[in-house]
Amino acid sequence: MNTRHPVAATLAVAGYIVMIVPILFVVATAFTDGETLSFPPRGFSVRWFGEALSYQPFVGSLVTSLEIALLATVLALAVGVPVTLAIHRGALPGKGLVENLFLSPLIVPELVVGLALFQQLIVTFRIDNWPVLLIGHTALLLPYAVRVTGAALAGSDASLEEAARGLGASPMRAFWTITMPLLRPGIFSAALLSFITSFNNVPLSLLLQSRKTQTLPVTMLDYVQQSYDPMVAAISTIILAATIVIAVIAERTVGFAKIFGGING
Amino acid sequence: MRSRATTALLLLPGLAFLLIGFLVPALAMLFAPPGTATSEIFVRLGEMLVDPFFLAIIGRTLLLALIVTLICVLLGFPIAYLLARTTSRWSGVLLALAIFPLMLSNVVRTFGWLVILGSNGAIGKLLTTLGLVDQAPQLLYTPLAIVLGMTQLFLPLAIITCYSAVTQVNPGLDDAARGLGASRGRTFRDIVLPLSLPGIVVAATLVFAGSVTAYTTPYLLGGSGNRMLATQLFTYSSVTIDWPGASATAIIMTVLVFVVSGVSSLVGRKGATA
Repeated sequence: MNTRHPVAATLAVAGYIVMIVPILFVVATAFTDGETLSFPPRGFSVRWFGEALSYQPFVGSLVTSLEIALLATVLALAVGVPVTLAIHRGALPGKGLVENLFLSPLIVPELVVGLALFQQLIVTFRIDNWPVLLIGHTALLLPYAVRVTGAALAGSDASLEEAARGLGASPMRAFWTITMPLLRPGIFSAALLSFITSFNNVPLSLLLQSRKTQTLPVTMLDYVQQSYDPMVAAISTIILAATIVIAVIAERTVGFAKIFGGING
Repeated sequence: MRSRATTALLLLPGLAFLLIGFLVPALAMLFAPPGTATSEIFVRLGEMLVDPFFLAIIGRTLLLALIVTLICVLLGFPIAYLLARTTSRWSGVLLALAIFPLMLSNVVRTFGWLVILGSNGAIGKLLTTLGLVDQAPQLLYTPLAIVLGMTQLFLPLAIITCYSAVTQVNPGLDDAARGLGASRGRTFRDIVLPLSLPGIVVAATLVFAGSVTAYTTPYLLGGSGNRMLATQLFTYSSVTIDWPGASATAIIMTVLVFVVSGVSSLVGRKGATA
């Protein structure tokens, strides 16, 4: 990468190897013709992809994962964007406090949140696993909906909307013609980030699962524990391919660094 | 938009989700697990903190998290620095490669290590084929496997956090120091490193908190011999159905994360004023 910093360059190469090489091994073993997870893979075949896509637990949990990720994203944005508006444009005392309150799900370990929801909503109130999973994922995504969409509003001036109102626009018209276009890139980033976060989530989905309601990552964890065949490598490769597609879309539209830089800052 | 009633209406649905989906259950868990008195949790917490089995789990969790944090900063900062300063036409691709793993499922990423470290895995095969060892060494289900797996998971987080810190350091300062005769090493030590220190502290905190609470890696790569707080919490809550044990473990985990975040924000504030 850079020969003027030999030490830094060596460390950097080591870092990239640790990050990327394991992923390549997953892909390589997915195309094996053999019966077990071994390296080097025996022969070349796509049969494990066929097996994975006709294995009912994977297909069923994939559907659950997609449903939860999609609905939680929509719900988190539906309730989160109004919160952003209230924080940045409303008559609200203690804005900082309210914003921190909505960011608080980020600081409590997800496993602890999962345990809390399991105990309190599923065991105590006997609510079904599926709605609790949806509520939990939505709460988990709220910080993204509030913070990422808020960044756009914080950087813009409320006087634009006031000017529109002063020129006779109704509140709704001012919102749709001035505020909404400002929010749109933030909403897109938040939606993307939320969907991926929910789809990949393990801690909440692990503790809130039932035999009927299981998400794909949890099913994969279970499967690896009982069987050592390349089916998980195949389903992993499919997830990898789908993630690359989403990543390319993200990079082409808002830019990677922007999406992921926003949440920790 | 300016009236209090409208503001309240905007806040209400979000607040409801936050309360039902997070705040109320989280607080209730600490004080009232199903059919359990609050005192039971704290009695259990006291027992755990003197139980050698549980202390070993806490010790292992903290030690591995510390090692992973050090490695992630040691590898992540140079990557962030080179990415921020390079003029190579590959910089975009390299940055994307460093961020992309954040989007990819933890399970998928961790799974690769099973193929590399497993008994039929790449490293064992390589060593036996070369005749260096008669039998593949046990690599999977060891602390080493957990460290490798967690480093892979959290390195992108360290890189992106350090990257935003380094990009805020004016490259003109590097040039000025170099122009005044400082060596590359000295410029790095005296200019770049101190100015990016707050970012490094944030990166270390995020990696440490993530490692202390990580479940997927110890579950897949640690096996039953290398229990950590997260895997133990799952055992209490879903295998042995031991509510006081689960709540007490959750309290320990949460306190650890809060203490580390608190200390790091203090350090960060001191660094900013110094």
